[in-house]
Amino acid sequence: MMLARVIGEVWATRKSPRMEGRKLLLVAALRKGQDAAMEPTGQVVVAIDTIGARIGHTVAVAWGSGARAVLAPPDNRSVLADAAVARIVDAVTLGNDDQPEYLE
Amino acid sequence: MILGRMVGTVWATRKNPRLGNLKLALVRPYFWYDPSHDVDHLVAVDQVGAEVGQDVIVCLGQPGRWAAGDFRCPIEASVAAIVDETRIARKSLSDAQARFALRQAFLPASLQWTEGDTMAEDRSR
Repeated sequence: MMLARVIGEVWATRKSPRMEGRKLLLVAALRKGQDAAMEPTGQVVVAIDTIGARIGHTVAVAWGSGARAVLAPPDNRSVLADAAVARIVDAVTLGNDDQPEYLE
Repeated sequence: MILGRMVGTVWATRKNPRLGNLKLALVRPYFWYDPSHDVDHLVAVDQVGAEVGQDVIVCLGQPGRWAAGDFRCPIEASVAAIVDETRIARKSLSDAQARFALRQAFLPASLQWTEGDTMAEDRSR
């Protein structure tokens, strides 16, 4: 999984039946910025959303075949998606417990 | 998935029999997962019926291989949807570099900038 920020949404009417009814989000991968915050990079991916992430949320995105595991079986078998929002992130810390570095 | 524009069609007479009659679309991605994949095109199986000039969503890897209903197909990318509209919130791109990357990038034809952080909830089609 990778940390990413939701930066936008994609609307599509004509889609593969295996992607029907999925909400699509544009997420940008995050990296650690200079001022102890996670910053979005230019790497932007379309991910399906099942938990109601909104623009501005930091999310963990599951990639590849693992994206299908985000959906409940048995309908996850045939889903046409290689990226899915797995969770909405509240906080990230770096380093050990003694001196955690809090990222936004 | 990746957002890209369909820029052409690939025709092939001699091909792997498992590819059958699948249409092959030439897609130019707007964004990649990783800079190391930085070529400017992608050949994807199209079962949705996209046309040249349309923005499409391309599913990569193993999930994309299932598009033909057979995991043995030599497919790595398939067109999953034709995009009507893309919205990116300007505010969410706080990083100057991300803004720069988007400004320099080849941008989606369907792109609309929005200012807000949140969107109307029930616009899913």
